[in-house]
Amino acid sequence: MAIVEKTPLELGPGDSVRYAERPLGVFTRPQGGRGWRDWLSTVDHKRIGILYGVSAMFFFLVGGVEALLIRLQLAAPEGSVLSADVYNQVYTMHGVTMVFLFIMPLAAAFANYFIPLQIGARDVAFPRLNALSFWIWLSGAIFLNTSWMVGGGGADCGWFCYSTNSGVAFSPSHGVDFYAIGLQILGIASLVSSVNLIVTCLNMRAPGMTLMRMPVLTWMLLITQFLLLFALPVITVALFLLMFDRLFDAQFFNPDAGADPLLWQHLFWIFGHPEVYIIILPAFGVVSEVIPTFSRKPLFGYEFMVFSGIAIGFMGWGVWTHHMFVSGIGPISVAAFSLSTMFIAVPTGVKVLNWLATMWGGKLRFTVAMKFAVATVAMFTIGGLSGVTHSVAPADTQQTDTYYIVAHFHYVIFGGGVLGLFAGLYFWWPKVWGHFLNERLGNWHFWIMLVGFNLTFGPMHILGLQGMSRRIDTYARGYGFEFWNMAATVGSLLIAVAVAIFLWNVVKSKRDAPHLPPPGPDPWDGRTLEWSIPSPVPVHNFDTVPQVHGRDEWWHTKYAENDEGKVVRVATVEEAAQTGEATGVHLPSPSFWPLAVAIGLPLIGYGLIFNLWLALIGALLTIASLYSWALEPVDDPDAAHDHHEEDHQEAQEADNDGDEQ
Amino acid sequence: MLLSAAVVTGCASDAELDTFAPQGPIARELHSRGVLPVFWIAAVVFVGITIAMVWLIWKNRVKNYDGDDEWPAQTHGHVPLEVGWTVGFLVTMVAVAGIMLWSLPTVDATEDNTMVVTVDDHSVSWEPTVVVVGNQWWWEFRYYFSDQVDLAALRAHGDAKTLPPADIVTSGQMVIPTGEEVELILTSRDVIHSFWIPALNGKRDAVPNRFSPWKIEASDPGFYFGQCTEFCGLSHSRMRMQAVALSPADFQAWVDSTSADAVEPTDPEALAGLEVFSGICTSCHLIEGVNDDVYEGADQASGAAPNLTHFASRSTFAGGILNTYNADGSLNRTDLEAWLRDPNALKENYTVPGEQYRGMPDLDLSEQQIDDLVAYLSGLGAKPAGWIIEATQVE
Repeated sequence: MAIVEKTPLELGPGDSVRYAERPLGVFTRPQGGRGWRDWLSTVDHKRIGILYGVSAMFFFLVGGVEALLIRLQLAAPEGSVLSADVYNQVYTMHGVTMVFLFIMPLAAAFANYFIPLQIGARDVAFPRLNALSFWIWLSGAIFLNTSWMVGGGGADCGWFCYSTNSGVAFSPSHGVDFYAIGLQILGIASLVSSVNLIVTCLNMRAPGMTLMRMPVLTWMLLITQFLLLFALPVITVALFLLMFDRLFDAQFFNPDAGADPLLWQHLFWIFGHPEVYIIILPAFGVVSEVIPTFSRKPLFGYEFMVFSGIAIGFMGWGVWTHHMFVSGIGPISVAAFSLSTMFIAVPTGVKVLNWLATMWGGKLRFTVAMKFAVATVAMFTIGGLSGVTHSVAPADTQQTDTYYIVAHFHYVIFGGGVLGLFAGLYFWWPKVWGHFLNERLGNWHFWIMLVGFNLTFGPMHILGLQGMSRRIDTYARGYGFEFWNMAATVGSLLIAVAVAIFLWNVVKSKRDAPHLPPPGPDPWDGRTLEWSIPSPVPVHNFDTVPQVHGRDEWWHTKYAENDEGKVVRVATVEEAAQTGEATGVHLPSPSFWPLAVAIGLPLIGYGLIFNLWLALIGALLTIASLYSWALEPVDDPDAAHDHHEEDHQEAQEADNDGDEQ
Repeated sequence: MLLSAAVVTGCASDAELDTFAPQGPIARELHSRGVLPVFWIAAVVFVGITIAMVWLIWKNRVKNYDGDDEWPAQTHGHVPLEVGWTVGFLVTMVAVAGIMLWSLPTVDATEDNTMVVTVDDHSVSWEPTVVVVGNQWWWEFRYYFSDQVDLAALRAHGDAKTLPPADIVTSGQMVIPTGEEVELILTSRDVIHSFWIPALNGKRDAVPNRFSPWKIEASDPGFYFGQCTEFCGLSHSRMRMQAVALSPADFQAWVDSTSADAVEPTDPEALAGLEVFSGICTSCHLIEGVNDDVYEGADQASGAAPNLTHFASRSTFAGGILNTYNADGSLNRTDLEAWLRDPNALKENYTVPGEQYRGMPDLDLSEQQIDDLVAYLSGLGAKPAGWIIEATQVE
């Protein structure tokens, strides 16, 4: 179902801020404007995407500081920067922060911002739910990090938080309580978001955009949402049990009461392995957009790229036990999961070769975005191959829980995921902000980050094979670990420099923007629909909902192949792009209720840990807000549409179908 | 990267935990059948993809892009090619799967080897087995000669906190005979640990409420280092262990001396140390011949503490992290005294009053008490051979 609209529409008189009386709510209905308050009530998928992105970058810095503390502690043997206790908290929170508070929300930023643009939609299916996802995510992120202040320190059980070490007897501070409840809150956010984006992809595509015409970024993000949808309930169950064990003396993970500690591991990794693909698939999507654009060729083997993504998504559910090869689960399980793990390398390898084939015979233009994209392929290949080496379960008995694994998954998650998302940032920055990121600073950022990354994580392969265990807060002299640990620490400082350059680039680019020519709608000669509309994107996205005739719709609007197979231009960007000047486009009304619901959840969390009365207050706030939300009309009847009764009615109906939140 | 990693670790001489330096038949087979073949496959694929990528970049890059360039041929895909490389990867992975299935028995199959061991003047036919119990943050090794145990019996018994009495209980260092496959039965009394002597085999977890089989074998007499590799809480990094492989004759000698009870000291300082031990240390530690009549387990989360009956026969203490002897063979008084004075300075332990202890608390001993205890403890058990003390020195 696409939103049915008559065009052109006029914007009604509700454009200026006007507060209507709300008989049922505490808040007057916000109506959109330009102040900071509008960011609190926004339901615009682009603003929510930006909120996700900015918050994710903030937590990237938090997780990065934690990473630097780890590397400073391990720079030399018998390090004394951190105590063992603090080290365990810092490495745990580094993992939790980078996974749940950086990469996942940064991918969510891309998903929120670009799925509607790439499928030609005005917004996501459930705009207020979208706001709810973000605010719940943010409240969970803040809640999790307040354990440093009020919980007696961060969680100290590793991001995997294995039973029985997660029990009160072995982790007496409140850190693990914050972990268990914080991740449940974050899980609600991702779950809500995944439902929303799945419905958006399936129901809101522009006319003519069949599934097999969807841009690959949207495809990979859609697969990611399905993984989230099925993975999060599993971890939520595990966290729920852990919470009851710790706060209410339940016995789910108490071996003295007969529990099997491996139960937690199964639950955690049934979530945890798909989580790896949740992290990497969005970056695969970004790379699949950037490489074709700067190779001036369509993506090679679109169908194979899509289906290998789906295959990875499916097979990702059948490999979790490879995290448990040495846990004593018996040779049959080990052999079975070892085999399934190996065969997930097939669709992944197919993807790598398709990217190379896209570059084959192309005209490669190495912008910073393209450099990051190609580096993503190269670094991910290393991470994938080191993964193959320990998919051989017997070999894994020498490698698991050593730095070899730390090297492996950082090549996958940082080399694949983070570099890929940086490619996306440089690529889509002009679309979002209306100005380029500085390419010269971008080059410094890229090269220093690439060198720093390899200097940090490359030596960890060696350290692991030399027998350096993971998760150790220090190591003794004389085991041969000194040199490469120092190298890794130097590398991590280079990464910090690169991140600082990126942040400076953000500031400087914004400052220089008024003196530079604007990027226009289509600065890179792009291929997908988001390049057919102005930069920055107008609030209503598309003046008219595009009619899609094939893959790479926007490219085919600009170019055609003549009888000799030569590409010829059929329209200039100026001719073909939308102007963004449409008025009166029907848009969903903002709301404060998502924020109010989200504020209740951490109160429940603190209450469960410290005082149940507080939980009651939080629960009342959340429930009252949900009711007020339900009673709040989807669209403010007083606002914006009185000139167009007919359009209004029609859009109301369309929205009521899709927006029963 | 993988290749250079392989080269560099192969050459490292001072890496005591090097996974590329197997010292026994199991680890050697694991290395040659499992690790190296898949490394070579990965290296070949890596080199292939990297060369392709560098060549593509070098050949196809456009240096000075000036707007509307010529467009290359717009190829959308090529089904036979796609099928071709899908099959190519499948075949590669079938080869990797073959490597896995070929090498899995090296770590998992066990043989029925037996050796004759004399204990308390009885000769028994012993299937070399050591029960390995993880505790925060030290390893216990239990040897059953008189009433032998096996995996099935222990699984039926179920509880790692009340294991049947053993002939020898030691900690930190596992002593094994050379040339024999030694079956390990792994379990834990508190959290999950992982037992790993890289030179002798890969690792396996010690899980509470579970008894998992593992095995190691050393070809030659030697001193092999290990480190707990499953995160096990506060002092995970300081939970180490070593395997001491002795020739069968030396192993028998070790059994003879270690299965005996502690001998009452004659030296007055050591006698005073025994006095201190009996008053303070016995709430956790057991010395056979001193407090086995009254010992009811340790006041710890694990319910156990290292058995000190033959303390001085081990070249390391405090969870395998401190050396009992200096390189010249003299007693390492410095570390022994420091450990008794303030254990937390050398290894973080969780000893909050009123809560369950995990690790050794600060006992507030006087210097006199410390001296007496050192005199007593250093007389417990036969000093290890010179080559063992030498091999213990890592720095």
